[in-house]
Amino acid sequence: MISLWMWWYGYVTVRLRGPGLERLLNKMAELDIVLHKVERPTVDVMLARLKVKDFRRLRPLLWDSQISVSILDKHGAPFFFGKFRHRTFLAIGLLVSLALMSYLSNFIWFIEVSGGESIPTEALKEVVADLGLRSGVARSVVQPRLIEGVLLKQFPTLAWAQVKMKGTRLEIVLTERDQPQGEYTGPGNLYAAQDGVVTEVFVLRGTAKVRVSDTVRQGDLLVSGEYYDAHGRKQSGAAQGVVKARVWYEGVGEAALTRWEPIYTGKSHRQYLVTIGSIKIPLGRSAPKETHIPSEREWQLSLGRAMVPLRLTEINYREVEYQKVSVPRQEAERIALQLAWESLLRQGVEREQVREERQRVDFLADGDGIRVTVQVEVLGDIGLFRTH
Amino acid sequence: MGPALKQNLKRKVAHTLDLPSEVLLDQATIHLMGDAEVHIVNHKGLVGYTRDCIKTRSIQGMIEVMGSNLEIVSFSSSEIRISGKIRQVMLT
Repeated sequence: MISLWMWWYGYVTVRLRGPGLERLLNKMAELDIVLHKVERPTVDVMLARLKVKDFRRLRPLLWDSQISVSILDKHGAPFFFGKFRHRTFLAIGLLVSLALMSYLSNFIWFIEVSGGESIPTEALKEVVADLGLRSGVARSVVQPRLIEGVLLKQFPTLAWAQVKMKGTRLEIVLTERDQPQGEYTGPGNLYAAQDGVVTEVFVLRGTAKVRVSDTVRQGDLLVSGEYYDAHGRKQSGAAQGVVKARVWYEGVGEAALTRWEPIYTGKSHRQYLVTIGSIKIPLGRSAPKETHIPSEREWQLSLGRAMVPLRLTEINYREVEYQKVSVPRQEAERIALQLAWESLLRQGVEREQVREERQRVDFLADGDGIRVTVQVEVLGDIGLFRTH
Repeated sequence: MGPALKQNLKRKVAHTLDLPSEVLLDQATIHLMGDAEVHIVNHKGLVGYTRDCIKTRSIQGMIEVMGSNLEIVSFSSSEIRISGKIRQVMLT
Protein backbone atom coordinates (compact mmCIF):
# COMPACT_ATOMS: atom_id res chain seq x y z
CA MET A 1 0.00 0.00 0.00
CA ILE A 2 1.24 3.41 -0.89
CA SER A 3 1.57 5.36 2.34
CA LEU A 4 0.38 8.88 2.95
CA TRP A 5 4.00 9.97 3.43
CA MET A 6 4.88 8.73 -0.02
CA TRP A 7 1.98 10.71 -1.45
CA TRP A 8 3.16 13.77 0.45
CA TYR A 9 6.74 13.55 -0.87
CA GLY A 10 5.62 12.48 -4.34
CA TYR A 11 6.26 9.24 -6.19
CA VAL A 12 6.45 8.03 -9.76
CA THR A 13 5.32 4.91 -11.56
CA VAL A 14 8.18 3.70 -13.74
CA ARG A 15 8.38 1.09 -16.45
CA LEU A 16 11.61 -0.90 -16.59
CA ARG A 17 12.21 -2.74 -19.82
CA GLY A 18 15.08 -5.05 -20.71
CA PRO A 19 16.89 -8.24 -19.66
CA GLY A 20 17.98 -9.02 -16.09
CA LEU A 21 15.45 -6.90 -14.27
CA GLU A 22 15.89 -8.87 -11.01
CA ARG A 23 19.58 -7.88 -10.99
CA LEU A 24 18.62 -4.23 -11.30
CA LEU A 25 16.15 -4.56 -8.44
CA ASN A 26 18.90 -6.02 -6.23
CA LYS A 27 21.25 -3.16 -7.16
CA MET A 28 18.53 -0.67 -6.27
CA ALA A 29 18.01 -2.42 -2.93
CA GLU A 30 21.74 -2.08 -2.22
CA LEU A 31 21.35 1.68 -2.63
CA ASP A 32 18.43 1.58 -0.14
CA ILE A 33 15.90 2.40 -2.83
CA VAL A 34 12.54 1.01 -1.72
CA LEU A 35 10.17 -0.14 -4.46
CA HIS A 36 6.43 -0.44 -4.00
CA LYS A 37 3.80 -2.40 -5.88
CA VAL A 38 6.18 -4.09 -8.26
CA GLU A 39 4.25 -5.66 -11.14
CA ARG A 40 5.51 -7.95 -13.87
CA PRO A 41 3.15 -7.85 -16.86
CA THR A 42 5.65 -9.53 -19.22
CA VAL A 43 9.07 -11.20 -18.93
CA ASP A 44 11.02 -8.09 -19.95
CA VAL A 45 8.81 -5.45 -18.36
CA MET A 46 8.36 -4.42 -14.74
CA LEU A 47 6.26 -1.63 -13.31
CA ALA A 48 7.22 -0.17 -9.95
CA ARG A 49 6.52 2.83 -7.76
CA LEU A 50 9.31 4.73 -6.09
CA LYS A 51 9.92 8.07 -4.46
CA VAL A 52 10.91 10.99 -6.68
CA LYS A 53 14.25 11.44 -4.93
CA ASP A 54 15.02 7.71 -5.39
CA PHE A 55 14.26 7.98 -9.10
CA ARG A 56 17.14 10.47 -9.48
CA ARG A 57 19.50 7.91 -7.90
CA LEU A 58 18.30 5.24 -10.31
CA ARG A 59 19.86 6.82 -13.42
CA PRO A 60 23.54 5.86 -12.71
CA LEU A 61 22.55 2.19 -12.34
CA LEU A 62 21.28 2.11 -15.90
CA TRP A 63 24.34 3.55 -17.62
CA ASP A 64 26.03 0.21 -18.28
CA SER A 65 22.89 -1.90 -18.72
CA GLN A 66 20.47 -2.59 -21.55
CA ILE A 67 17.50 -1.67 -19.40
CA SER A 68 15.46 1.38 -20.32
CA VAL A 69 13.34 3.28 -17.85
CA SER A 70 10.41 5.57 -18.47
CA ILE A 71 8.00 7.41 -16.19
CA LEU A 72 4.41 6.34 -16.72
CA ASP A 73 2.74 8.50 -14.12
CA LYS A 74 3.48 11.02 -11.42
CA HIS A 75 1.58 11.10 -8.17
CA GLY A 76 1.55 12.93 -4.89
CA ALA A 77 1.44 16.38 -3.40
CA PRO A 78 4.37 18.01 -5.31
CA PHE A 79 2.73 17.18 -8.64
CA PHE A 80 -0.77 18.04 -7.44
CA PHE A 81 0.23 21.46 -6.16
CA GLY A 82 2.59 21.98 -9.10
CA LYS A 83 -0.44 22.09 -11.40
CA PHE A 84 -1.55 25.27 -9.70
CA ARG A 85 1.75 27.07 -10.20
CA HIS A 86 0.64 28.45 -13.55
CA ARG A 87 -3.07 28.54 -12.70
CA THR A 88 -3.17 30.98 -9.85
CA PHE A 89 -6.80 31.93 -10.29
CA LEU A 90 -7.89 28.30 -10.36
CA ALA A 91 -6.16 27.76 -7.03
CA ILE A 92 -7.65 30.93 -5.62
CA GLY A 93 -11.10 29.93 -6.92
CA LEU A 94 -10.75 26.49 -5.35
CA LEU A 95 -9.71 27.92 -2.01
CA VAL A 96 -12.44 30.56 -2.09
CA SER A 97 -15.13 28.01 -2.96
CA LEU A 98 -13.90 25.66 -0.22
CA ALA A 99 -13.95 28.52 2.27
CA LEU A 100 -17.41 29.57 1.06
CA MET A 101 -18.75 26.03 1.31
CA SER A 102 -17.27 25.64 4.75
CA TYR A 103 -18.83 28.96 5.81
CA LEU A 104 -22.25 28.21 4.29
CA SER A 105 -22.37 24.79 5.94
CA ASN A 106 -22.65 26.61 9.28
CA PHE A 107 -26.22 27.60 8.44
CA ILE A 108 -29.53 25.79 8.25
CA TRP A 109 -30.81 25.91 4.67
CA PHE A 110 -33.49 23.23 4.64
CA ILE A 111 -36.25 22.68 7.19
CA GLU A 112 -38.24 19.45 6.90
CA VAL A 113 -41.28 18.46 8.93
CA SER A 114 -42.54 14.91 9.19
CA GLY A 115 -45.60 13.69 11.08
CA GLY A 116 -48.21 15.89 12.76
CA GLU A 117 -50.59 15.75 9.78
CA SER A 118 -53.50 17.28 11.68
CA ILE A 119 -51.51 20.38 12.64
CA PRO A 120 -52.12 23.25 10.19
CA THR A 121 -48.95 24.02 8.26
CA GLU A 122 -49.39 27.78 8.62
CA ALA A 123 -49.72 27.53 12.40
CA LEU A 124 -46.60 25.38 12.59
CA LYS A 125 -44.68 27.77 10.35
CA GLU A 126 -45.73 30.69 12.53
CA VAL A 127 -44.59 29.03 15.76
CA VAL A 128 -41.30 27.98 14.20
CA ALA A 129 -40.71 31.46 12.74
CA ASP A 130 -41.39 33.05 16.15
CA LEU A 131 -38.55 30.93 17.52
CA GLY A 132 -36.25 32.43 14.89
CA LEU A 133 -36.05 29.26 12.86
CA ARG A 134 -35.91 30.02 9.14
CA SER A 135 -33.82 29.12 6.14
CA GLY A 136 -30.40 30.75 6.49
CA VAL A 137 -30.25 30.82 10.29
CA ALA A 138 -26.90 29.95 11.90
CA ARG A 139 -26.66 26.42 13.33
CA SER A 140 -25.19 27.74 16.56
CA VAL A 141 -28.33 29.85 17.21
CA VAL A 142 -30.73 26.91 16.92
CA GLN A 143 -31.74 25.38 20.26
CA PRO A 144 -33.41 22.04 19.48
CA ARG A 145 -34.57 21.35 23.06
CA LEU A 146 -36.23 24.78 23.32
CA ILE A 147 -38.04 24.32 19.99
CA GLU A 148 -39.25 20.86 21.05
CA GLY A 149 -40.60 22.27 24.32
CA VAL A 150 -42.42 25.14 22.61
CA LEU A 151 -43.95 22.84 19.99
CA LEU A 152 -45.28 20.46 22.65
CA LYS A 153 -46.73 23.40 24.57
CA GLN A 154 -48.30 25.10 21.54
CA PHE A 155 -49.86 21.96 20.09
CA PRO A 156 -51.47 19.85 22.82
CA THR A 157 -52.29 17.07 20.34
CA LEU A 158 -48.57 16.30 20.09
CA ALA A 159 -47.22 13.43 22.10
CA TRP A 160 -43.60 13.85 21.04
CA ALA A 161 -41.46 16.31 19.10
CA GLN A 162 -37.86 15.97 18.05
CA VAL A 163 -35.62 18.50 16.33
CA LYS A 164 -32.56 17.04 14.60
CA MET A 165 -29.82 18.90 12.76
CA LYS A 166 -28.12 17.00 9.96
CA GLY A 167 -25.57 19.21 8.26
CA THR A 168 -27.45 22.11 6.74
CA ARG A 169 -30.80 20.33 7.13
CA LEU A 170 -33.07 20.55 10.13
CA GLU A 171 -35.68 17.87 10.68
CA ILE A 172 -38.72 18.32 12.88
CA VAL A 173 -40.29 14.97 13.70
CA LEU A 174 -43.75 15.15 15.25
CA THR A 175 -45.90 12.39 16.68
CA GLU A 176 -49.51 12.97 17.64
CA ARG A 177 -51.47 11.35 20.42
CA ASP A 178 -54.07 8.75 19.56
CA GLN A 179 -57.53 10.15 20.19
CA PRO A 180 -59.35 8.18 22.90
CA GLN A 181 -62.16 6.04 21.53
CA GLY A 182 -65.64 5.47 22.86
CA GLU A 183 -65.69 8.43 25.20
CA TYR A 184 -69.08 9.12 26.74
CA THR A 185 -70.41 12.38 25.36
CA GLY A 186 -73.90 12.47 26.87
CA PRO A 187 -77.29 11.06 25.86
CA GLY A 188 -77.81 10.46 22.17
CA ASN A 189 -79.10 8.12 19.44
CA LEU A 190 -77.70 6.11 16.58
CA TYR A 191 -78.86 7.37 13.17
CA ALA A 192 -78.41 5.91 9.70
CA ALA A 193 -75.35 7.39 8.02
CA GLN A 194 -76.70 6.33 4.60
CA ASP A 195 -79.53 4.51 2.83
CA GLY A 196 -79.61 0.72 3.07
CA VAL A 197 -81.39 -2.51 3.98
CA VAL A 198 -80.77 -3.64 7.56
CA THR A 199 -79.22 -7.09 7.89
CA GLU A 200 -78.17 -7.14 11.54
CA VAL A 201 -79.09 -5.21 14.69
CA PHE A 202 -77.05 -5.56 17.85
CA VAL A 203 -77.84 -3.20 20.73
CA LEU A 204 -75.48 -2.67 23.66
CA ARG A 205 -77.36 0.24 25.19
CA GLY A 206 -80.71 1.73 24.18
CA THR A 207 -83.73 0.49 22.24
CA ALA A 208 -83.65 -0.80 18.65
CA LYS A 209 -85.97 1.16 16.36
CA VAL A 210 -85.41 -0.94 13.23
CA ARG A 211 -85.55 -4.62 12.43
CA VAL A 212 -83.68 -6.88 10.06
CA SER A 213 -84.75 -6.38 6.38
CA ASP A 214 -86.09 -2.87 7.11
CA THR A 215 -85.20 -0.27 4.50
CA VAL A 216 -83.75 2.85 6.05
CA ARG A 217 -82.97 6.28 4.65
CA GLN A 218 -80.07 8.47 5.63
CA GLY A 219 -80.83 10.16 8.97
CA ASP A 220 -83.43 7.60 10.16
CA LEU A 221 -83.32 6.66 13.84
CA LEU A 222 -81.77 3.22 14.31
CA VAL A 223 -81.18 2.86 18.05
CA SER A 224 -82.68 5.20 20.60
CA GLY A 225 -80.72 6.14 23.71
CA GLU A 226 -83.82 5.66 25.87
CA TYR A 227 -84.33 2.37 27.63
CA TYR A 228 -85.92 0.89 30.75
CA ASP A 229 -83.67 -0.38 33.53
CA ALA A 230 -84.15 -3.47 35.71
CA HIS A 231 -86.58 -1.55 37.97
CA GLY A 232 -88.70 -0.47 35.01
CA ARG A 233 -87.57 3.14 35.16
CA LYS A 234 -87.06 5.04 31.95
CA GLN A 235 -83.43 6.01 31.41
CA SER A 236 -81.80 8.23 28.83
CA GLY A 237 -78.20 7.48 27.80
CA ALA A 238 -75.85 7.25 24.89
CA ALA A 239 -77.10 4.63 22.44
CA GLN A 240 -74.50 1.99 21.65
CA GLY A 241 -74.71 -0.84 19.18
CA VAL A 242 -74.03 -2.11 15.70
CA VAL A 243 -76.52 -1.82 12.86
CA LYS A 244 -75.27 -3.52 9.74
CA ALA A 245 -76.96 -2.92 6.42
CA ARG A 246 -76.58 -3.59 2.73
CA VAL A 247 -75.51 -0.28 1.24
CA TRP A 248 -75.08 0.74 -2.39
CA TYR A 249 -72.42 3.01 -3.72
CA GLU A 250 -71.94 4.37 -7.19
CA GLY A 251 -68.70 5.45 -8.80
CA VAL A 252 -68.32 7.03 -12.24
CA GLY A 253 -65.20 7.25 -14.36
CA GLU A 254 -64.71 8.76 -17.80
CA ALA A 255 -61.92 8.34 -20.34
CA ALA A 256 -61.29 9.85 -23.76
CA LEU A 257 -61.06 7.72 -26.91
CA THR A 258 -58.34 9.96 -28.33
CA ARG A 259 -55.30 11.57 -26.80
CA TRP A 260 -52.46 13.87 -27.75
CA GLU A 261 -49.14 12.08 -27.63
CA PRO A 262 -45.76 13.78 -27.68
CA ILE A 263 -43.40 12.71 -30.49
CA TYR A 264 -39.75 13.63 -29.98
CA THR A 265 -38.31 15.64 -32.89
CA GLY A 266 -34.72 14.84 -31.90
CA LYS A 267 -33.83 18.41 -31.02
CA SER A 268 -32.89 19.20 -27.45
CA HIS A 269 -31.68 22.11 -25.43
CA ARG A 270 -29.85 22.18 -22.09
CA GLN A 271 -30.05 24.57 -19.24
CA TYR A 272 -28.14 24.53 -15.95
CA LEU A 273 -29.36 25.81 -12.65
CA VAL A 274 -27.03 26.65 -9.77
CA THR A 275 -28.86 26.70 -6.45
CA ILE A 276 -27.19 28.34 -3.47
CA GLY A 277 -29.55 28.03 -0.51
CA SER A 278 -32.81 29.54 -1.71
CA ILE A 279 -31.21 31.48 -4.57
CA LYS A 280 -31.46 29.94 -8.04
CA ILE A 281 -29.14 31.11 -10.79
CA PRO A 282 -30.10 29.83 -14.27
CA LEU A 283 -27.27 29.36 -16.76
CA GLY A 284 -28.67 29.40 -20.28
CA ARG A 285 -32.19 29.84 -21.58
CA SER A 286 -35.16 27.68 -20.75
CA ALA A 287 -37.54 26.34 -23.41
CA PRO A 288 -41.36 26.64 -23.64
CA LYS A 289 -43.09 23.81 -21.79
CA GLU A 290 -45.76 23.53 -24.51
CA THR A 291 -43.27 22.26 -27.08
CA HIS A 292 -40.60 20.73 -24.85
CA ILE A 293 -40.48 18.01 -22.22
CA PRO A 294 -37.91 18.71 -19.51
CA SER A 295 -35.94 16.07 -17.61
CA GLU A 296 -33.75 16.94 -14.67
CA ARG A 297 -30.55 15.62 -13.17
CA GLU A 298 -29.32 16.96 -9.91
CA TRP A 299 -26.02 17.00 -8.05
CA GLN A 300 -25.94 17.98 -4.40
CA LEU A 301 -22.58 18.92 -3.03
CA SER A 302 -21.77 17.32 0.29
CA LEU A 303 -18.73 17.30 2.52
CA GLY A 304 -18.79 13.93 4.22
CA ARG A 305 -22.11 13.76 6.01
CA ALA A 306 -22.64 17.50 5.88
CA MET A 307 -24.89 18.74 3.10
CA VAL A 308 -23.58 21.90 1.50
CA PRO A 309 -26.27 24.25 0.18
CA LEU A 310 -24.85 24.15 -3.31
CA ARG A 311 -26.77 22.23 -5.96
CA LEU A 312 -26.33 21.94 -9.70
CA THR A 313 -29.32 20.94 -11.80
CA GLU A 314 -29.12 20.01 -15.45
CA ILE A 315 -32.43 20.45 -17.29
CA ASN A 316 -32.62 18.77 -20.65
CA TYR A 317 -35.48 20.17 -22.77
CA ARG A 318 -36.41 17.72 -25.54
CA GLU A 319 -38.51 19.22 -28.30
CA VAL A 320 -41.78 17.41 -29.06
CA GLU A 321 -44.65 17.65 -31.50
CA TYR A 322 -48.05 16.51 -30.31
CA GLN A 323 -50.03 14.07 -32.45
CA LYS A 324 -53.61 12.97 -31.97
CA VAL A 325 -53.82 9.20 -31.55
CA SER A 326 -56.83 7.05 -30.91
CA VAL A 327 -57.07 5.01 -27.73
CA PRO A 328 -58.37 1.42 -28.07
CA ARG A 329 -61.80 0.99 -26.51
CA GLN A 330 -60.53 -1.67 -24.06
CA GLU A 331 -57.84 0.67 -22.78
CA ALA A 332 -60.32 3.56 -22.41
CA GLU A 333 -62.69 1.25 -20.54
CA ARG A 334 -59.87 0.12 -18.26
CA ILE A 335 -58.94 3.74 -17.44
CA ALA A 336 -62.58 4.73 -16.86
CA LEU A 337 -63.11 1.67 -14.64
CA GLN A 338 -60.04 2.53 -12.64
CA LEU A 339 -61.31 6.11 -12.17
CA ALA A 340 -64.72 4.81 -11.14
CA TRP A 341 -63.11 2.60 -8.53
CA GLU A 342 -60.98 5.48 -7.30
CA SER A 343 -64.20 7.42 -6.80
CA LEU A 344 -65.68 4.49 -4.84
CA LEU A 345 -62.56 4.21 -2.67
CA ARG A 346 -62.82 7.91 -1.91
CA GLN A 347 -66.38 7.29 -0.69
CA GLY A 348 -64.98 4.80 1.81
CA VAL A 349 -65.69 1.55 -0.01
CA GLU A 350 -63.25 -1.28 0.65
CA ARG A 351 -62.89 -3.91 -2.05
CA GLU A 352 -63.00 -6.75 0.50
CA GLN A 353 -66.45 -5.65 1.69
CA VAL A 354 -68.05 -5.73 -1.77
CA ARG A 355 -70.81 -8.37 -2.05
CA GLU A 356 -72.05 -7.50 -5.49
CA GLU A 357 -70.74 -5.35 -8.32
CA ARG A 358 -72.50 -4.03 -11.44
CA GLN A 359 -70.88 -2.17 -14.32
CA ARG A 360 -72.41 -0.11 -17.10
CA VAL A 361 -70.52 1.28 -20.08
CA ASP A 362 -71.88 4.29 -22.04
CA PHE A 363 -70.47 6.42 -24.81
CA LEU A 364 -70.33 10.12 -24.07
CA ALA A 365 -72.64 12.41 -26.06
CA ASP A 366 -69.80 13.79 -28.23
CA GLY A 367 -68.70 10.23 -29.10
CA ASP A 368 -65.13 11.02 -28.10
CA GLY A 369 -65.18 9.32 -24.72
CA ILE A 370 -66.48 6.51 -22.62
CA ARG A 371 -68.17 6.47 -19.22
CA VAL A 372 -68.09 3.52 -16.84
CA THR A 373 -70.54 3.44 -13.95
CA VAL A 374 -69.80 0.95 -11.17
CA GLN A 375 -72.43 0.13 -8.59
CA VAL A 376 -71.38 -1.96 -5.62
CA GLU A 377 -73.23 -3.42 -2.71
CA VAL A 378 -71.37 -3.63 0.56
CA LEU A 379 -72.22 -4.74 4.04
CA GLY A 380 -71.31 -2.19 6.65
CA ASP A 381 -72.11 -0.55 9.97
CA ILE A 382 -74.31 2.43 9.15
CA GLY A 383 -74.87 3.61 12.72
CA LEU A 384 -73.81 7.19 13.43
CA PHE A 385 -74.01 8.53 16.96
CA ARG A 386 -75.44 12.00 17.51
CA THR A 387 -76.29 13.67 20.79
CA HIS A 388 -79.77 15.13 21.34
CA MET B 1 38.28 -19.84 9.12
CA GLY B 2 35.84 -21.25 6.53
CA PRO B 3 32.26 -19.90 6.19
CA ALA B 4 30.71 -23.16 7.46
CA LEU B 5 32.92 -23.14 10.55
CA LYS B 6 32.10 -19.48 11.12
CA GLN B 7 28.36 -20.17 10.97
CA ASN B 8 28.75 -23.10 13.36
CA LEU B 9 30.62 -20.95 15.83
CA LYS B 10 28.02 -18.18 15.60
CA ARG B 11 25.24 -20.71 16.18
CA LYS B 12 26.99 -21.99 19.32
CA VAL B 13 27.50 -18.44 20.64
CA ALA B 14 23.86 -17.60 19.99
CA HIS B 15 22.76 -20.78 21.75
CA THR B 16 25.05 -20.20 24.74
CA LEU B 17 24.09 -16.53 25.18
CA ASP B 18 20.42 -17.21 24.35
CA LEU B 19 20.41 -14.62 21.58
CA PRO B 20 17.93 -14.66 18.65
CA SER B 21 19.71 -16.67 15.97
CA GLU B 22 18.32 -14.61 13.06
CA VAL B 23 20.19 -11.55 14.38
CA LEU B 24 23.56 -13.17 14.91
CA LEU B 25 23.44 -15.62 12.05
CA ASP B 26 21.72 -13.26 9.58
CA GLN B 27 19.12 -15.92 8.99
CA ALA B 28 16.07 -15.21 6.87
CA THR B 29 12.72 -14.96 8.64
CA ILE B 30 9.55 -15.83 6.80
CA HIS B 31 6.18 -14.56 8.04
CA LEU B 32 3.19 -16.14 6.37
CA MET B 33 -0.16 -14.42 6.89
CA GLY B 34 -2.91 -16.84 5.92
CA ASP B 35 -2.57 -17.62 2.25
CA ALA B 36 -2.56 -13.99 1.14
CA GLU B 37 0.72 -12.43 2.23
CA VAL B 38 4.36 -13.39 2.90
CA HIS B 39 7.08 -11.20 4.46
CA ILE B 40 10.63 -12.33 3.95
CA VAL B 41 13.14 -10.52 6.16
CA ASN B 42 16.92 -10.78 5.70
CA HIS B 43 16.82 -11.91 2.10
CA LYS B 44 19.95 -11.73 0.01
CA GLY B 45 18.45 -10.68 -3.30
CA LEU B 46 15.75 -11.44 -5.81
CA VAL B 47 16.46 -14.25 -8.24
CA GLY B 48 13.23 -14.65 -10.19
CA TYR B 49 9.86 -12.98 -10.35
CA THR B 50 6.80 -14.22 -12.21
CA ARG B 51 3.12 -14.13 -11.28
CA ASP B 52 3.32 -17.80 -10.20
CA CYS B 53 6.69 -17.97 -8.50
CA ILE B 54 9.00 -15.57 -6.67
CA LYS B 55 12.52 -16.77 -5.82
CA THR B 56 14.83 -15.07 -3.33
CA ARG B 57 18.27 -15.92 -2.05
CA SER B 58 19.06 -16.30 1.66
CA ILE B 59 21.86 -17.60 3.91
CA GLN B 60 19.96 -20.88 4.25
CA GLY B 61 19.45 -21.29 0.53
CA MET B 62 16.75 -20.40 -1.98
CA ILE B 63 13.30 -19.38 -0.75
CA GLU B 64 10.58 -20.10 -3.31
CA VAL B 65 7.09 -18.68 -2.91
CA MET B 66 4.61 -20.34 -5.26
CA GLY B 67 1.00 -19.45 -5.95
CA SER B 68 -1.07 -17.35 -8.32
CA ASN B 69 -1.41 -13.61 -8.97
CA LEU B 70 1.73 -13.00 -6.95
CA GLU B 71 2.89 -9.42 -6.64
CA ILE B 72 5.72 -7.70 -4.80
CA VAL B 73 4.03 -5.15 -2.56
CA SER B 74 7.34 -3.67 -1.41
CA PHE B 75 10.96 -4.46 -2.01
CA SER B 76 13.94 -3.19 -0.02
CA SER B 77 17.42 -4.44 0.87
CA SER B 78 16.16 -6.21 3.98
CA GLU B 79 12.56 -7.14 3.29
CA ILE B 80 10.23 -8.37 0.56
CA ARG B 81 6.48 -8.28 1.00
CA ILE B 82 4.55 -10.53 -1.36
CA SER B 83 0.80 -10.65 -1.83
CA GLY B 84 -1.42 -12.98 -3.86
CA LYS B 85 -2.83 -16.48 -3.49
CA ILE B 86 0.01 -18.38 -1.82
CA ARG B 87 0.10 -22.16 -2.19
CA GLN B 88 3.61 -23.15 -1.18
CA VAL B 89 6.71 -21.70 0.48
CA MET B 90 9.85 -23.81 -0.06
CA LEU B 91 13.42 -23.65 1.21
CA THR B 92 15.76 -25.38 -1.24
